[in-house]
Amino acid sequence: MLDVLAFVALGIALGIFTGFLPGIHVNNLTPMFLALAVGSAFASMTLAAAIVAMAVTNTFISYIPATFLGAPEPGTELSVLPAHRLLMQGKGYEAIKLTAVGCFGGLLLGAALIWPMLLIVGPAYAAIGPHMHMLLTAIVIVMIALERSKAGIFWASVIFLLSGFLGLLSLDTNLSRGDVALMPLLSGLFGVSTLLLSLKNGGKMPKQRIDDRPLEIKRNLKPLFAGTAAGALTGIIPGVGPSQGTVLAQLATRSSGTREFMVSVSGVNTAKALFSFVALYAIGRARSGAAVAVEQLMDVGFRELVFLVGVALFVGGIAVILHMKLGRFAARNIGRLPYRATCIAVIAGIVGLTIYYSGLVGLLILTTATAIGILPAVVNVKRTHCMGVIMLPCILYFAGLKGGVLSALGL
Amino acid sequence: MEKITKLGLLCSLAGLAAIYAGAVYVRPSVTPIARLDNEFVGLKVIVSGQVVDLRESNGHLFLKLQDNSGGVISVPIFSSTRSQLGDSIELLDEVQVTGEVTLYRGELEVVPEEAGDVIIVHSPCTGVASIGADMLGEPIRVIGVVEKREIVGSGNIILTLAEDGGKLAVFVPASVARSEEFPEVHVGYTVQASGWLQMYNNELELRLTGAWNIKVIGAA
Repeated sequence: MLDVLAFVALGIALGIFTGFLPGIHVNNLTPMFLALAVGSAFASMTLAAAIVAMAVTNTFISYIPATFLGAPEPGTELSVLPAHRLLMQGKGYEAIKLTAVGCFGGLLLGAALIWPMLLIVGPAYAAIGPHMHMLLTAIVIVMIALERSKAGIFWASVIFLLSGFLGLLSLDTNLSRGDVALMPLLSGLFGVSTLLLSLKNGGKMPKQRIDDRPLEIKRNLKPLFAGTAAGALTGIIPGVGPSQGTVLAQLATRSSGTREFMVSVSGVNTAKALFSFVALYAIGRARSGAAVAVEQLMDVGFRELVFLVGVALFVGGIAVILHMKLGRFAARNIGRLPYRATCIAVIAGIVGLTIYYSGLVGLLILTTATAIGILPAVVNVKRTHCMGVIMLPCILYFAGLKGGVLSALGL
Repeated sequence: MEKITKLGLLCSLAGLAAIYAGAVYVRPSVTPIARLDNEFVGLKVIVSGQVVDLRESNGHLFLKLQDNSGGVISVPIFSSTRSQLGDSIELLDEVQVTGEVTLYRGELEVVPEEAGDVIIVHSPCTGVASIGADMLGEPIRVIGVVEKREIVGSGNIILTLAEDGGKLAVFVPASVARSEEFPEVHVGYTVQASGWLQMYNNELELRLTGAWNIKVIGAA
């Protein structure tokens, strides 16, 4: 028991580390636990507990750099802009509280609704799967049509196609490994572009207000339920990431406000992390890097699932406290940093990590993604259209057209 | 159009053009299987080889391909992809697969994403009369008429195939014979069977490893 607790503590520490550093992902560290499993006395369950602890903690903590530095990780990309908006209103800590409600609520609701969700999601997948490309296409059309003006619809379409083409070339060719390309893609589209615009506009970090009043839970229940359901869906269905799940959740709840959006998107992210482990038991397939590692450590039966969910809940309780404390510390101290220099340092950090992980090709992807990421703000449309980077390859994949399109392009 | 919009659009298009040119330059090419190692993980390759092992589980198909380089690679074809294949894959078929190299439980795999990534060329059958001891241990595919069908031991089946004056025993282990996929095979049926040639009681026989390695071509 003590060894499990020790490894859970190690997982939490590593989750904080991966959450704080944009570009360092849980998947970068899981091989360490797999290596430990070979030729060591540690039980597989203990190592799996550490991986679950790291993955769950990471989903909470990654919202801190996303909020204060505008640096996204996969899953937090859509929250960067609303969180940054709150930050620039001096409400960075409120963004942290909202994501804490979303993350922890998503985890609790997800755990409570595992069985109903499994009953619904399996048949829903079987029914939706063959029509997934049509569903995603419909979501894209609605997203673009919501721009209303002719110019808005035109630019939204251009941005969606540019992002989609960039995603297809970066994620589905040999130019770069898909998981490596994701960091410069998302950082460029959602992070560096936001920071560059802030620099151009002479952004100054306003003083952050620490509002300790509890959030109204009732108001957040709808986005929380929608986020959890979408997280369960994306945790089990391949190719549908948290951002697409959030779009679904938004459509289901018609929530468009910044605060509801943040609760919803963070709920999706944590519920997805939980359900990627549930998927190991329910459909025998790994749906995340961490779940792949757990799958390699042990066969997940009912007993193991209960253990993993128990660990996730235990860690969630600790992670939400850490998230609030660290977020509060960041909100109190971010103003002490010179905003301009901080933005430049973050951009330099992202560029450095990109070159380290994916070389000059990554830098080219980052530059192109940043150029596309600047467009929504300057032509005044929603940045969500940049999700074409994942949605277009997804649509082509589900339609069975990806290979044909790549062949037609001579790839 | 604002200057920054023009600049953003220009940079986006120039970047995409450069990325496209790079992607064309490194597009997947046919890679000898023996050359595949962990360095290829995450990259797309094309492998082409003969199916030397094949098994089915929960609707998924798991192949092992071997090419002239001597290397053998696993190719899982998941049910969603398999259901879209226009043709069935059989042992000894020549198959070309385009897919991403992944590592599963320490073993390299090439995973096709969609049916179009799998090209199947059926290999011809070996005449029963031309099978000799020099082919012992090799996988072969034969076609012939079932001359005799007997059950031996605890449910094993031995079929005797005849073709052009030659005869060959096909050993079907009980585990294969009992599976739901094993077709009804009676005397007089023409069947195609694939398996490994082995020696039993000084007689050559073909050993079936799965129900999907035998199919009825015509009934009497």
